[in-house]
Amino acid sequence: MVFSSLVFLFAYLPITLLIYYIVPRKGRNLFLFFINLVFYGWGEPMLVFLMLFNVLFNYIGGWLVDKYRQDAKKKKLFLVLTCILDIGILAVFKYTGMITDTLNMLPFLNIPNLHISLPIGISFYTFQTMSYVIDVYRDDAPVSKSFINFGTYLALFPQLIAGPIVRYRDVADQMINRRETLAQFTKGVKIFCIGLGKKVLIANQMGIITKALFETTGVEPHGILGTWFGIAAYTFQIYFDFSGYSDMACGLGNMLGFEFLKNFNYPYISKSITEFWRRWHISLSTWFKEYVYIPLGGNRKGVKRQIINLLIVWGLTGLWHGAAYNFIFWGLFYGLLLILEKFVLKKFLDKLPSVLQHVYTLFIVLIGWTLFYFTDVNQLFAALSDMFNFSKGIISDNTLNLFLSNLPVLIVAGIASTPLGACVYNRFKHVKFMWVAETLFVAAVLFLSTASLVDQSYNPFLYFRF
Amino acid sequence: MTHYANSKGGRHYAAEYRDNENSVPAYLPALIFVGFIFTMAIWFLFNPKLDYSSSEKRNLQQFPETSVNNITSGKFGKEFETYFADHFPARNMWVGANAYASLLEGNNGAKDVYNCKYGYLINKPVSEDNEIKNNIDAIVDFKNLDAVKNTPMSVMLAPSTGYVCDDVLPSIHNEYKDDKYFPEITSTLSQNGISFVDLRDTFKSAYKAGSQLYYRTDHHWTTRGAYTAYTRFCSSLGITPAKESVFNIEHYGGFYGTTYSTSGFWLTQPDDIEVWNNKSNTADNLHMKITEGTETKDYDSMFFYNHLEEDDKYPVFIDGNHAYTEITNTKAEKGTLLVIKDSFSHSIAPFLAESYKKVILIDMRYFKTENVSAVVQREKPDQLLVLYGIDNLANDTDLVWLQ
Repeated sequence: MVFSSLVFLFAYLPITLLIYYIVPRKGRNLFLFFINLVFYGWGEPMLVFLMLFNVLFNYIGGWLVDKYRQDAKKKKLFLVLTCILDIGILAVFKYTGMITDTLNMLPFLNIPNLHISLPIGISFYTFQTMSYVIDVYRDDAPVSKSFINFGTYLALFPQLIAGPIVRYRDVADQMINRRETLAQFTKGVKIFCIGLGKKVLIANQMGIITKALFETTGVEPHGILGTWFGIAAYTFQIYFDFSGYSDMACGLGNMLGFEFLKNFNYPYISKSITEFWRRWHISLSTWFKEYVYIPLGGNRKGVKRQIINLLIVWGLTGLWHGAAYNFIFWGLFYGLLLILEKFVLKKFLDKLPSVLQHVYTLFIVLIGWTLFYFTDVNQLFAALSDMFNFSKGIISDNTLNLFLSNLPVLIVAGIASTPLGACVYNRFKHVKFMWVAETLFVAAVLFLSTASLVDQSYNPFLYFRF
Repeated sequence: MTHYANSKGGRHYAAEYRDNENSVPAYLPALIFVGFIFTMAIWFLFNPKLDYSSSEKRNLQQFPETSVNNITSGKFGKEFETYFADHFPARNMWVGANAYASLLEGNNGAKDVYNCKYGYLINKPVSEDNEIKNNIDAIVDFKNLDAVKNTPMSVMLAPSTGYVCDDVLPSIHNEYKDDKYFPEITSTLSQNGISFVDLRDTFKSAYKAGSQLYYRTDHHWTTRGAYTAYTRFCSSLGITPAKESVFNIEHYGGFYGTTYSTSGFWLTQPDDIEVWNNKSNTADNLHMKITEGTETKDYDSMFFYNHLEEDDKYPVFIDGNHAYTEITNTKAEKGTLLVIKDSFSHSIAPFLAESYKKVILIDMRYFKTENVSAVVQREKPDQLLVLYGIDNLANDTDLVWLQ
């Protein structure tokens, strides 16, 4: 199930909220545990068993690590075993196809394609469970005494399928002691509506542009600006889709009494790639830093080792995003840029006027999303060549029309990518009648998003017998 | 939004909220949200569940089967989502709201229909990646068959509405490329001895003179448009068309066509539909036969007034789409005309029947029982006509089976 669907908004969510607040506080985690599994198994119920298995062995893993905390060897053994099982499951479900395809390039091998479908959210919750056992191992978090509480944490529906990757230590206390308040609930509603609007009203519209430009065949070339426009639309799409989803997750968390850390912090206003990655998908970068980069030695073992560590982290970051080689290239592309910035470009960049720093960063980010979008290498090279080739015209008529008819949404997307709205809001939020504006905003987003979601289901079948 | 470097102090964040807790209106956003989702949820429960959507012309999803197999495979979940959306409260209102919201956002044509001046709802130009060339090639191949090659053939295409009525289009619109397609088609056809009846100039000048040639809420031509095409077709063959004065023109209001139901612009005014009825045609001279599969039915009128009860009134002409329709008129002068057609032919058929003793209409979308060349051999028509709207020809994937 996804948040931006009618069945979630008008069936799952009201039922969940109603029962959650009727149930006495002691039973709320148990209810959440159950309703999380309904959410997770909605499209593929058999996955519930995978989830339960995951919860069970990580719970046991954490318990064993805690039990042998005096015995360094055994403690480490159980940590390693649990992590291997976690990564093993992820590898089987996510990377089998990629591994067999790669091996099949060897002329003497012909491994049949197993067609394993990817369980939703597995990349996210695998990282969450690993954070649990590692935190327990490092004494950064207490072991979870209750199976239900641990299961509720792992499968918590707000962040289950698209993040943020909530570290156990950040919510350990909230799992046991949380006091839902009306104020927190109201804050959750506002954040949820911001996220809903980002996803349904902006990202979906950008998706229509991207699809029209890059997924239809037999059309005349879009021209150099037309191609850049398509990539820009995708740049907006991925940000508003992903950050919208994170906002909805944080908002839903608030409605249930949780606080999650912020996952995006206006990444497109960055002045360097280093800054961009501090603002983009913060929970993932934090995870890699905490659980991979620093254990590898980070920057404490000399420059050479640091560079290798960075490349490992960024290769893995790329691979985490998808089981295809373009994602590894995409990750290494960023890894190399970050190394370059750290050791060479930084002094030079700092002296540039800030406009040029923004231009530099956005240019790299757009190229980055081009690498990310085209999983097919031929299409990727075709797109890259169109982006630097004047011979196919500036912009085709149809592409220009697409641009013009979406101009208002593009402008809104541009402004919403900056903290401008938040600044204005913070400036005026103590004004007496701010609640009027807030209420109108919530009402408008709900109305327009519902209209858009209903419209997606409206499929006239007119070429049957008219 | 504040966040907590260390959330082990789970309790201290309650302090942040205490400031506003006294003012009730501060909670209004939450009230609106909760009120809205619960209202819609309860309304859904009591909303009558229809079987059929008349504006979408499709059966709606029914409550999914609750078998173990259905649930474990995930089919139940998917069908339930469709069921929930299909029976969502005030569904058409939401669709309309979305259509007008897109319009306000400056995105005219979001659902592939432009909202134009004077209440015209016009389909966007066909995609550049279309079937026109394949279909014209299929027509040429058909003409070159032994059974067909000695029968004269014409092709007539209705220009796209947006091409003819270009003055009503919104300022941002894609180009209607009839001026590119028509000459290409003419040259391919003329090389193969097929004459092309080019309606572009006829339609442009008739439209400029004030005739309404296309419906505002439907993709078809009006009866006036069909009559204009009919006179042009006759003159291309040196036939004298039936005069306008022989017809009694009947007007019927309240016609909401296909571009209306696709677009969701519910505030658009309906069209009038005209039936041009030649009262001198009676059961003595005129008959119509409709064949579907092996079943044939006889009628003594070309007009099916029962369809005027529906929103989409276009099937008033020859009862709409059928695989094989035959109209005979003993009072007409010319022999047999065989038309390979789409729905644009329905409103022109009564005019063609004024000139031809026998008009056979074959719709390739439904006619699967035999080859059209076999019909040609049996019926020995004097003239063949391929008649489509250019938009339909661009999307049609059945004409390639023409043999």
